[in-house]
Amino acid sequence: MPSQPPLPHLLTPYVTSPPQASLTILSSVLGATSNWLVLRFLYAALYASPASGVGHGVLGVEAGKKRKVVLVSFLRGWEFWRSEAKRLGLDLARLIEKRQFAFVDGLSELFSSPNAPTQPQYPGARIPPRTTLPLRSQPGPPRLRQPVSPSAGGDELLNPTTKEPGPVKRLHLSGCGIVALDGIEKEIIAVINQLKTSTPAEDGEVSEVLLVVDQPDMLLAATGPSKAIGATEMGEWILGLQQAASATIVTISADSPLIHNASAFAHQPATPLETGHAAFAVGLAHRAEKVMQLRNLETGAARDVSGVLRVSKGGAWGQREGAEAEGSWEEKEVLYFVQRDGGVSVFGRGE
Amino acid sequence: MAPSNISHRQTHNLLLISKLLSLRDTASPLTLLLDSLEQPATPLIKEYIRRARLSKVHVTLIAFETLKPLDGVDAFISARRKSPSDIVKEVSAAYRPDSSNSPNRRRLILIDSINPLLHSTRLDNSFQLSTFLSSFIVPTSLSASSQPEASLVITFHQDVPGRPSPYSPPPLSILTYLATTVIKLHSFSHILAQKVARDRSLVPPVFGLEEEQDGVLLSRLDKPIGKDSAEGVVLEMEYRRKSGRGVLEWYLLPPASRYPATQVREIVTLLDDHPLYRPPLDDDAGDEEEPESTFELRLTERQRRDREGVVLPYFDAQQGHGPGEGGRILYDMGEEDDFDEEEDEI
Repeated sequence: MPSQPPLPHLLTPYVTSPPQASLTILSSVLGATSNWLVLRFLYAALYASPASGVGHGVLGVEAGKKRKVVLVSFLRGWEFWRSEAKRLGLDLARLIEKRQFAFVDGLSELFSSPNAPTQPQYPGARIPPRTTLPLRSQPGPPRLRQPVSPSAGGDELLNPTTKEPGPVKRLHLSGCGIVALDGIEKEIIAVINQLKTSTPAEDGEVSEVLLVVDQPDMLLAATGPSKAIGATEMGEWILGLQQAASATIVTISADSPLIHNASAFAHQPATPLETGHAAFAVGLAHRAEKVMQLRNLETGAARDVSGVLRVSKGGAWGQREGAEAEGSWEEKEVLYFVQRDGGVSVFGRGE
Repeated sequence: MAPSNISHRQTHNLLLISKLLSLRDTASPLTLLLDSLEQPATPLIKEYIRRARLSKVHVTLIAFETLKPLDGVDAFISARRKSPSDIVKEVSAAYRPDSSNSPNRRRLILIDSINPLLHSTRLDNSFQLSTFLSSFIVPTSLSASSQPEASLVITFHQDVPGRPSPYSPPPLSILTYLATTVIKLHSFSHILAQKVARDRSLVPPVFGLEEEQDGVLLSRLDKPIGKDSAEGVVLEMEYRRKSGRGVLEWYLLPPASRYPATQVREIVTLLDDHPLYRPPLDDDAGDEEEPESTFELRLTERQRRDREGVVLPYFDAQQGHGPGEGGRILYDMGEEDDFDEEEDEI
């Protein structure tokens, strides 16, 4: 099969320029993950802006506008995203240096205390930070973390221990309930604002920041009712992040047990995790303008099809005045195939 | 159903929905909109706001999940991270009628989604849903007479599950008990598909989350049937009168692009009146049902008289010439018959 263009043309209208203040949901199942789609969103936002010569057609509209992206990932580390983006021809490390992109790591040290004395003791240890066991926070009264300004505290502390370039911000969860979520929210918003204001002030206007939150449901699953974090709190947390960014993309899992066990049609009582996840996912879909659902092929596995992508209008579609006119896209269901080299082809049924 | 009955129902129920959506005479202080991902309440809420604007009603939106205020909303109150009592305070502060000049403006309070509030872990045990809701409708301030009449419209997402509590009824039960009007929203194309299936005695199809298919949250696609006239929202309304009697009716709200924003005439129709839902019967059928054919199947007057004059054989038996006479077998032997003696002996 010939190598695919980084942005399949069937997909282009759906991944380019999500409208202002909108929420886009990418739902995935275990057999059909959303990484490739997230990368397409990154590509559409980041690749068009520096290389104005490439920008033609749909991308040409975006060529003049500076778009920046903050990627918050709760399930995958920096190394994964960097190497996957490289296969697309997107150098994230360079983009971080150019202050067009920022990565927030919600995985590596989420549950380890940020100022633990054990951290700096192993500066020479070559163990990648993802594989270290999370350190327990000290028992006792929950410390209310002061919002550390990310340029000062965070980088100094983290950069000696890691070889990673740029502001790879690491999130730390401390405390309980809203306090914990507020801490994380402040850190992410600080990164967004940092990126917003770091524009070379030639045009003077604040650039738009696209926020991508990858699998925040992991946060919900890992905390749950014992930490007083439920679907409502998570939804409010996303709402807070939405206010800081110009457009937001959230990926969630929509596997059957996580969604359907808690529904009214189920026959057995649901666990708190199932209820919480279903309420969070369905609630987000109610707030989204666009819902892109990935799932397996109903007829079973195939050699040349990875899964089905269905793009639907979410619950908030049509709330904004004139939404029909500006972002005219049709609901659609297509098949996609992720090749070994990372290229993706998107095609209709029977094509 | 007799035709006069239908027309009465049409006029009466259309007046009713018009009164409800335009908030006239505070017909329904507490309206509950039950929506789902398959048919969100956004079109209906926009319709409420449109009508409120036309009749100069003050609109307040309490946003639990909306980021930006909708067009036409006078007061937008973000309820994120706020306690219920704070929300009540803000809502009552959002509109102060100046008692000096104009008569009281009526007031519409919209809650975009009640689910986050119901499932919040922050609520303490003293929170009562009914108290919270009634505090909007019945303001407790001293100058109660100067308070405007308020109508409350609440959206509840049916497909968002909640934490079941063993000691209290589920929130949906409380809400449906309190509400004076319950409007359940359906997608018109889904209703049509289900009707087609029912007409053929098939199991009606289900959509979206109810399919219980792995990875499917939403099933709505732009053109499910291939007719673009199948757009619109079906409203299943239950209105509780003050007497306690309920009125049930199904309506169709056409999409907003079909009519100008300033139209005053009623745009909602009965679902039964929609040609796609109930195709009109052919009117040329006369009093008697007669099959269409190239043959002449009717009788002329003379043929009919002749037919009435025919005396059928069993009338002969009913003449009755006494007992024993009625049961005779009248039979003429033909040439080919041979007489069977044994049979005749019995």
